[in-house]
Amino acid sequence: MLQVRCLLLAAVVCAVSLPLRAQAPAARAVDFSRDIRPILQLSCVRCHARGNDKGGFSIETRESMLRGGDTGPALVPGQSADSLLVRLVSALEPDMVMPKKGSRLTGDKVALLRAWIDQGAAWDPGVTFARSTPRNLAPHAPALPDAPATAASPVDRLLHGYFATHEATAAPRVNDRQLIRRLTLDVLGELPSPADVHQFVADRASDKRERLVARLLADDRRYAEHWLSFWNDLLRNDYRGTGYIDGGRRQITAWLYAALANNLPFDQFVASLVNPVPGTEGFTKGIVWRGVVNASQTPEMQAAQNISQVFMGVNLKCASCHDSFINEWQLADAYGLASIYADRPLEMVECDRPIGKTAAMKFLYAELGSIDPASPRGVRLDQLMHAMVGPNNGRLARTIVNRLWARFMGRGLVEPVDDMEQAAWHPDLLDWLAQDLVAHGYDLKRTMAVILTANAYQRVAVNAAAANEPYVFRGPEARRLTAEQFVDAVSAVTGIWQTAPDARVNVALVRSHAVPSREQTRAALVAANPLMTALGRPNREQVVTTRAAAATTLQTLELLNGPTLADHLRRGAERLLASRKGSLEIVDDVFERALGRAPTSAERRLSSQILGPLPDAAVIEDLLWSVVMLPEFQVVH
Amino acid sequence: MAPTTRRNFLATASAATLSALAAGFPRAVAAQGAERLVPTADSVIVLWMGGGMAHTETFDPKRYTPFASGLRPHQVLSTFPSIDTAVDHIKFSQGLERIAGVMDRGTLIRSYTAGDLGFILHSRHQYQWHTGYAPPQTAAAPHLGAIVARTLGPRDPAMPAFINIGQRLDVGEGEELKAFTTAGFLGAEYGPFGVPYPDEAAEVVRPPSGMSPGRFESRDRFYRRLLEASPIGQEGSDYQRESLLRAYDNAHRLLSSPAARAFDLSLEPLEHIQKYVPGYTPGQQFRAVQDRFGATYERQMVGRFGLGCLLARRLVEGGARYVEVTTEYIPFLNWDTHENGHERLVAMKGQIDAPVAQLVLDLEARGLLGRTLVVLASEFSRDLLIEGKPDLKVKDQVEVPDLITEPKHYGMHRHFTDAGCVLLFGGGVRRGHVHGVTAEQRPCRTIQDRVVIEDLHATIFRTLGIAPTQAYEIEQRPFYVTRDGKGQAITSLLA
Repeated sequence: MLQVRCLLLAAVVCAVSLPLRAQAPAARAVDFSRDIRPILQLSCVRCHARGNDKGGFSIETRESMLRGGDTGPALVPGQSADSLLVRLVSALEPDMVMPKKGSRLTGDKVALLRAWIDQGAAWDPGVTFARSTPRNLAPHAPALPDAPATAASPVDRLLHGYFATHEATAAPRVNDRQLIRRLTLDVLGELPSPADVHQFVADRASDKRERLVARLLADDRRYAEHWLSFWNDLLRNDYRGTGYIDGGRRQITAWLYAALANNLPFDQFVASLVNPVPGTEGFTKGIVWRGVVNASQTPEMQAAQNISQVFMGVNLKCASCHDSFINEWQLADAYGLASIYADRPLEMVECDRPIGKTAAMKFLYAELGSIDPASPRGVRLDQLMHAMVGPNNGRLARTIVNRLWARFMGRGLVEPVDDMEQAAWHPDLLDWLAQDLVAHGYDLKRTMAVILTANAYQRVAVNAAAANEPYVFRGPEARRLTAEQFVDAVSAVTGIWQTAPDARVNVALVRSHAVPSREQTRAALVAANPLMTALGRPNREQVVTTRAAAATTLQTLELLNGPTLADHLRRGAERLLASRKGSLEIVDDVFERALGRAPTSAERRLSSQILGPLPDAAVIEDLLWSVVMLPEFQVVH
Repeated sequence: MAPTTRRNFLATASAATLSALAAGFPRAVAAQGAERLVPTADSVIVLWMGGGMAHTETFDPKRYTPFASGLRPHQVLSTFPSIDTAVDHIKFSQGLERIAGVMDRGTLIRSYTAGDLGFILHSRHQYQWHTGYAPPQTAAAPHLGAIVARTLGPRDPAMPAFINIGQRLDVGEGEELKAFTTAGFLGAEYGPFGVPYPDEAAEVVRPPSGMSPGRFESRDRFYRRLLEASPIGQEGSDYQRESLLRAYDNAHRLLSSPAARAFDLSLEPLEHIQKYVPGYTPGQQFRAVQDRFGATYERQMVGRFGLGCLLARRLVEGGARYVEVTTEYIPFLNWDTHENGHERLVAMKGQIDAPVAQLVLDLEARGLLGRTLVVLASEFSRDLLIEGKPDLKVKDQVEVPDLITEPKHYGMHRHFTDAGCVLLFGGGVRRGHVHGVTAEQRPCRTIQDRVVIEDLHATIFRTLGIAPTQAYEIEQRPFYVTRDGKGQAITSLLA
């Protein structure tokens, strides 16, 4: 009895003394977005927003927050000391401490909340914690506006009026010589031959640009060799890398090459990767290092992250560890997708701490199709695959056409290209390209042709936009050659090619004209060397969807004195020397091959001066080096 | 538009193009509670004992049991007797007499504990030691050197900020090594400048082999004239050209600047090289055929690491920010002793003893030790019997016989994670100090003041003035320089 009384007494004392312990308000002006929103996001939204209203309390809007829940108003602007919210997060009500899940608010955070309430509980316009309608998800087929005959292509019709509206000057039309160089690099990854350049420039036909695009896209072999790099980056497929050492990884090279050479429709391409067929298992198998793997990097979670990022433009990486702070994805969403791939129930782990729950199996967007958790894994993958490539998923097509646009224009309609929840700078253009891809059997080459034949693409390259300015489209951005393009371009100048591919192509899967050339093995088909690594070819341990654009000192050092390029150019110089050409002939030949043009008179004079009348291999090598170091050679204009 | 010449376009580079230039790099996220940290070090030299350096055989000796046929394995804790150091209460293992002589200049951590990563794969633990994160990761985690390079930049603009000496990447587990020997998402500008062969260091900043300095300079002159003559200014982008030419100028400056001389070990007096590499002869190269379990390999390679240490000193003098020198990790070689452990450690100690001590003395004599932090570390330790932690079940262990009958069984052949030694010199750390205690009996595990990687990193960062909560943005989320921003500097190690 005595004990009970003591306890009661203690409780009374506590009840009296507790309010005195509430954290004082912060003594500074509080900014909702900077100070308050992160606190609500981290500690409150899981139970009281995004459709949830535990205890009848929702903080989705300022109004719902002020209204409060079953126990009355949550806060009174100007009176933080009397606000229930403050009492609950300060643990002044022992029966009802908030947040119920996760860690208590620190004194600093309570102080900020109090100051915010005292200062009027301002709420930035437009901010809501409601579950938003996903952007860029439902298919949409905008009508093509009317436009003058000069803007006949669908892309140009959609862009008609854009420049006037944005008070921007479109870049002028690019000349034929520049265009064939850019197109050949963009479609096939290689320089055009001098003969191709001359023929194209001399062609008087009015439809020569359209015919060129069609001819390039029809070159199945060189197309596959080039786009292999793009897809290897996205699907993190490589010929060497971590994991192979003990069977923790598998290549998909043979399947991928065939899919590209045969222009496999993109919906089938995705279907085959999501629900593996022979040869594609490596993509969803992931990279497995020996030993204990962080729960956010189990093979199933890697599959969930990579499928979401590559095909849906959804970043699940934060949500693999905890409810995301940067988007609406929650731990249960990541586990819901990962568990489709698992052959056992996946216990959810939040920041390395198992939480004793499993997530309901589901695809990211329930409206695209349901997964039956009682089905065996194979059936579930089939259901997932149908949700991905089904007619209701407008995100799949938008994500890939945006990647293609970014590839050709230097910048996506949506940026970052992996965050398709962002608005496009021209939503109708994105939507039209996406529905056009679907309407034409997911034929990626058709979408490429649509973009590449538009005036929008055939403009003089412009400078990359500064990061801090709103983006206005004026034309494609100048880009550097990729590592593989650079190496192939140097080979085209020197005639020296690799002859031993590391990529294993299954010739039975591709038509004979698309089998890679062994004598002229493209850089994409060999393992990375120090030169390519320096030039930005990634090690494919993670999905890479954008390579860095800026030149770096270490790259240039590799070009200045690295053995890979030096050896290549030395052999190229010896080959030129053996051709017994005269100095002027050599100069013209090198400029034509490298730059697709004759040297100017000043260039010819300088170059023949350095070669002298009887050049040796060393000076020829120096000429080759100087030309391939020119920005004109290294940049796609 | 008039043709832009090389000479005037840099001068006219607009603010927009400059900001575009920076746009390619991850944004720094302000460190939380960023009180101004006052750095006590400007440079770091990490001396990397790749392969797993046994603590009881080096800087934390236990009871010595000489070899005798018929020994029971559990009797053997150390295969070398202990020796005195310059600090009364600190003992080392025999063979480290010179480092023992400079122990009064530094701090010894005996309680470094490697992560529990299940399978004890060297490259996984090396990845974790060098990035602070266990592989695989959703983002390409940057190497410690890249973080330092990104956060502090080069000390001398002509000198690469992150130089990596002695590790070839085409050896066993090379792909795993490449996975962390990288700037990762921070971008190639901050990546390692590799010097795989310290005896050929001068080559990496010289014209390509076979090209005379005269030809190199004339090539440069020709190139610059060709640039001036190039009609490119009339078409296309300033930014890309500017970025390329800026990089060209930086690279060319390194190759032709005094900084390049720092790489040239032949400029060092012979008697001085011999302090790092006893018995060195001019032009001596260190090459040996790798041979799995080959006990002679390490003896032939004695001297390679020593040249690396000398090079590190020259580079720091020349303005390097972060230099790592490794004894080189090659599976089953160097510190990775799966048999003949005792005999092979004689050679390994021979590789490191003179140069590590000399590096400390040289830095001190040149007044550089105060501002240069030297860190000697390894991915984990070794034991004769225990794999991992005492209570951890792991696979793939070296066989240990019931009785030791041959010298090849005498040594620390299993991977041990529950203790490990780290030496710290200079850069604001305490002198003559020991941190952490391990048990005197097997398992010789950490029993006091455990140190984990994020706290070791936080301590290194603390000396450089970098907060453990410093972060860089990748895919719109912060990536912290210590694991999830949780590292805490061990202030008792700091002077």
